[in-house]
Amino acid sequence: MQASASGKRALTGREEKKRVEGQFARHINSGQVKYLKAGHLDVLETMRRGIRFTDEATGRTMIDCFTSAGCFNVGRGNPLVLAALEDALGSLDMGSRVLMSPWKAALARALVEIAPKGLDRVFFASGGGDAIDCAIKLARGATGRPTIVSTIKAYHGHTGFALSANGKEHYRRHFEPLMPEFRFVPFNDSEAMASAITDKTAAVIIEPIQGEAGIFPAADDYLVDLRRLCDRHGALLIFDEVQTGFCRTGRFFACEHSGVVPDIMALAKSIGGGVYPNGAVLYRGLPVINRFLKKHHDFHPSYDGGSDIGCCVSLAVIRFMRETRLWEKAERSGARLYSALEDLRRENPAIIREVRGRGLMIGIEYIHEFMGPMMSDALARNGVFAAYSGNAPQVMRFMPPLVASDEDIDEIIAAARAAVAVMKSLLPLALPAARVPFLLNMLNNERVQTLLFNWLRSVEDLIARIPGPGGSNK
Amino acid sequence: MKTATVNRKKVLDDYRRFFPAAALDRMHSEGLDIVEVERDGAFIFDEKGRRYIDCIASASVYNLGRRPRGVTTAFKKALRETDQGNFPMISREKAALAAKIAAFAPSGLECVVFSVTRGESVDFACKLVRGATGRSGIVTVDGSWFGQTGFALSLSERANREMYGPLIPAVDTIPFGDFSSAARAITDTTAAVILEPLQAENGCRAAYPEYLAEIRRLCDARGAALIFDETQSGLGRTGRKFFLEYSGILPDVLVMGEALGAGVFPIAATVFTKKLNRFMNRHPLIHLSTFGGADLGCMAGIAALDLYERLKPWENAEVMGRRLRSGIERALRGRRRPNGMVSGAGLLLAIDLGSPENALSFCRAAARSGILVKPGDVDASSVLIRPSLLITPTQTNEIIGAVEKAAADIKFI
Repeated sequence: MQASASGKRALTGREEKKRVEGQFARHINSGQVKYLKAGHLDVLETMRRGIRFTDEATGRTMIDCFTSAGCFNVGRGNPLVLAALEDALGSLDMGSRVLMSPWKAALARALVEIAPKGLDRVFFASGGGDAIDCAIKLARGATGRPTIVSTIKAYHGHTGFALSANGKEHYRRHFEPLMPEFRFVPFNDSEAMASAITDKTAAVIIEPIQGEAGIFPAADDYLVDLRRLCDRHGALLIFDEVQTGFCRTGRFFACEHSGVVPDIMALAKSIGGGVYPNGAVLYRGLPVINRFLKKHHDFHPSYDGGSDIGCCVSLAVIRFMRETRLWEKAERSGARLYSALEDLRRENPAIIREVRGRGLMIGIEYIHEFMGPMMSDALARNGVFAAYSGNAPQVMRFMPPLVASDEDIDEIIAAARAAVAVMKSLLPLALPAARVPFLLNMLNNERVQTLLFNWLRSVEDLIARIPGPGGSNK
Repeated sequence: MKTATVNRKKVLDDYRRFFPAAALDRMHSEGLDIVEVERDGAFIFDEKGRRYIDCIASASVYNLGRRPRGVTTAFKKALRETDQGNFPMISREKAALAAKIAAFAPSGLECVVFSVTRGESVDFACKLVRGATGRSGIVTVDGSWFGQTGFALSLSERANREMYGPLIPAVDTIPFGDFSSAARAITDTTAAVILEPLQAENGCRAAYPEYLAEIRRLCDARGAALIFDETQSGLGRTGRKFFLEYSGILPDVLVMGEALGAGVFPIAATVFTKKLNRFMNRHPLIHLSTFGGADLGCMAGIAALDLYERLKPWENAEVMGRRLRSGIERALRGRRRPNGMVSGAGLLLAIDLGSPENALSFCRAAARSGILVKPGDVDASSVLIRPSLLITPTQTNEIIGAVEKAAADIKFI
């Protein structure tokens, strides 16, 4: 700790966090501060390097298993990416969308080189939601049809089209009415899809692995069925690979597992290397699309996606992935983590219901929702930062940076084991309550959790502050 | 890729191969099929070192000129300390920029939600007012252009909007400036009225202060919120910090565009009242943005706002805007067509050229004369002039000279 230049005493980590929380609550969101506290997710990230960051308040260094929902595939502060960004800053800025950019052209070329064969044309977008809005506009515009079929629990983003395609009431209900002609069918159910697709269907939109829903991989056969159904009805197939793309699942893109090539593919998150916003929409040059673009090439201009600096960063991301064959690492590490968590599930059926995923996109589903926040805390104490899904708190996502070594993965496994052991010790208290339906509902209610866990947190904080012989005030 | 090694032919080949062919045709017709290589202050240089004055400024992003040193330096420094961060977390950078924006924005607007792009900010503004009021109706005005995302598109004037299927329902479009239709449209089911006080893409049509006052009064009477989108007119562009200062009418929600990141980092913000934020506080994380308010972007935004506060570019925009406007009017006077009418405020000006064809030939001629300009997205007969707010008198004269030369160069139809 250093004294500040003004002569005032520099704030301790805890004091600084309190100051930031106050400012954040006042000018951004006080509910968010409370919510994060309740879930033991209230960390202040510093020293963001590689697969870890340090919480300023507790000094605790943790492995980042949330990675901004899959943004840090190349690791945080990746040297190659930082060097490219620094270099770009020496002569470039965002550039002008209306002029020609060599960097935009170079990134388009690089994207087409890594994409599944057939996806050989490119639009840029400012992020995931914007990319989905672009994809749906392209599908509706090209086919001249209104209907978009999405899946229940799907998550595609928060802008107007993307939000309309979200298959969760949670994100939609306060903002209705959204766009008409969006249909929702159960995920991984070919028959349901077969009866939903008609000659009015512009597109089917799907995540090859539902991420935010709680990590549900699509069966390969299911995706093959979707391709066949879309072809039969002249509908376009859109894959949202915002979370699954860029090596996360053990392939460059998750669709490679099934061999199914979509007509339109939306990308974002890790394309930005964890430092700079970018996004892309790849598409096939089908006659129906080309005809539309002849008249309406400018149907979704992006001033912010495909910026010159952003393209330099994304080019470095792709180069790093290709040079290190990062998808292979993701597959290997994913198998290691998956089998260990699967062992843990077999040993603890009262806590873990299921382990799901592909590559380094793995979810653990607990028996009860209230276990999510408890596990977050237990994991954090053991050096692993993992977040449960906002409105599916029973599922915790493990999506660490793909650059994690075998030892790092073993560290995550050890932390998960230790956390489950802590859970076990607490269960005699929680489980009897969980048997009473009314109390279980209370425990699983987000608002009640926020209140209850906040109260528990303040008690804990109070105890932690009592100076003891062990110096617990760390 | 070093800027010195740019090969125009290769770039053209890649554009043909990876992007729609019609996009290149359009650039050609606007005289903008130029490879943008170096950039500095008011200028852009192509691969041969040809110099142009940037009068597009990426639709009012480059208010502080290209690559303002204060921002690039701060951003480089920030790179060593932070990254984009985990988006749902509390963050020092987000909190600091939000507090800075609250101090910079008109009084009463002190809560912030970040986004990357204008459309996203507008979409959030619409969601905010629907959530907070429990009402669905959104009233917009004709001639608007809010962006490309779902809500923004639904609210904008676009000839071929219906191509994208049925859009956001409960949207009512009323004629801009018309008092009686406003009185009819704003009801007890109206969540908000949204408008750009100065419609940049629509020939820089500005709302009369009396009209804005009446809309404010109607919103208050019906319990609806008022949203201003100042993406193009804000952050000094029109000779004030925000264009709304000319009328003194305050909105409940203000959309601040990407000028916030000064073209170094894409970041935009929706700024709103504490009262509206009660809804967001009750429903945290109901609207998310992975890249919006990225910690690094906040550092760029903080540096940019420091620069805005230090340089007060709105003062220069007002002075140079007056000089530019009268210079252009003088340059175009006496020509049979167009009538040379110039609209707008500060350094956000539109020249009415009578027809879209005239506008395009003017853009091409202007590029030949060394300034880059573009027609309006809504009013294609107008051409917009929006250079860096820090242009010098000499550069202003150069723009006037180029406008005069371009007007003399073309045959108006």
